[in-house]
Amino acid sequence: MMISGRSIYFVVVLVVVLAALGTAVAYYYLRYRRRQTFPYGNWESLLSRLSTVDRDKIALISQNVLNESESRRMDEDNSDPNATQIWSLVGGLKGLEAMERNCAVLVDLAFYVQQWYPEASVVAQQLRLNAREVQWHVGRLKSAAQTGKLEIFFSDYAQPAITTYYLMTRRVLALYEKYNLPGLGDLQRAI
Amino acid sequence: MHLNHTDYLFWAAGLLAHIVLLVVISTRHRAETFPFFTTLISANIVKTITLYLVALHGTRYSYRVTYSCLTAVDLALQLCVVYEVALHVFRPTGRWAPEVRRGFVIVVVASITVAAGLTTLAETPAKTWLAAVLIRGNFFSSALMSELFAGMIVLSVTVGLPWKPHAARIAQGLGFYSLVTILTEAGHNIFGMERTSRISGDLTLLRIVTYLTCVMYWIVMLWREAPAPRELPAEIRSQLVAFQRLLEYDLRKLRALK
Repeated sequence: MMISGRSIYFVVVLVVVLAALGTAVAYYYLRYRRRQTFPYGNWESLLSRLSTVDRDKIALISQNVLNESESRRMDEDNSDPNATQIWSLVGGLKGLEAMERNCAVLVDLAFYVQQWYPEASVVAQQLRLNAREVQWHVGRLKSAAQTGKLEIFFSDYAQPAITTYYLMTRRVLALYEKYNLPGLGDLQRAI
Repeated sequence: MHLNHTDYLFWAAGLLAHIVLLVVISTRHRAETFPFFTTLISANIVKTITLYLVALHGTRYSYRVTYSCLTAVDLALQLCVVYEVALHVFRPTGRWAPEVRRGFVIVVVASITVAAGLTTLAETPAKTWLAAVLIRGNFFSSALMSELFAGMIVLSVTVGLPWKPHAARIAQGLGFYSLVTILTEAGHNIFGMERTSRISGDLTLLRIVTYLTCVMYWIVMLWREAPAPRELPAEIRSQLVAFQRLLEYDLRKLRALK
């Protein structure tokens, strides 16, 4: 039986598509299996994705909002930090961008737990929403920076973003603590 | 329409396998969790009986018309099953995560585009428009289903959402069948779908055997209970709930600052 040129072309394209599909599925399936078989194998790489942020200063800014501890106020006269102080404490827009990147890692850290404890999915989903909240605030600040109005909007958007990020870190730590997972010490030092 | 012993054998095997699967679904109470999948299996029982009767008493043309209509229903139900599996995978808490929904829409659009592209690329040697529609339709549906399942695997691994056991087994069966049917339907696109052709007959046989294997796989897997999820101790659960309430309160305060 004669096979037309168009049919040969069809077979070649089909083979390419199937090879691409097969490769993608195999790659992601192996990634999934690796995660199942060696659940702690990628722990270091997960932590290494965290950008450096000063967690003490973030806690300081956040606790003023949350009123968690009157004794840990920033100033001796108990006044809230102003925009300039927040700007210098958090490291400006770059510090906020580092925090935004860390949000994705915090969500991954919750999903990491979800592999063994499906109940953790509630926390993971909440963290997703929080991460989006932080992204929204940082996005506003980036837009303000582009229009030269960063100083006006910094205190409006930076403080909620920082405090949400701080709560996310507390939530992740609490999650690891409750399940008594190894790696909690590393996590406490990292976030 | 002339039917040989092999045709009768596969018809009977298909009907029996589907009835057993439906009994398993009913007795193990899977119908509440997978209503579309249950409908698909029930529809296949109706399809098998209808096609048998039309093949015995109808003409070849009436058989092809009935087959095409029932295949369209089958494709619609298979797409519903894909959506059902997606709901189980991507809504672990009963709500779509926004970025996952967007990713799923991209997977659907990309799958339809690629499947349609491949289908139009094929040159069908069918003599009638109905046969051409049937061959192209079968190929499109198998390509679409394979791409959808592949996309869902990629998406779920990317966002780190685990597959629930029974949803995963249904998807594996349907995904494997779709993958094999891409090859058989590509063969039909090249060599035609005439019953007199040896290659066409072998390809159809391969498709039927694959589907029967998948049905048997579902019978076994849906009969088995899913492993029980590990329960949190009551004390830790209540601590977690209390902690969550505290955070919700804090977050409300934060949102009020906007």
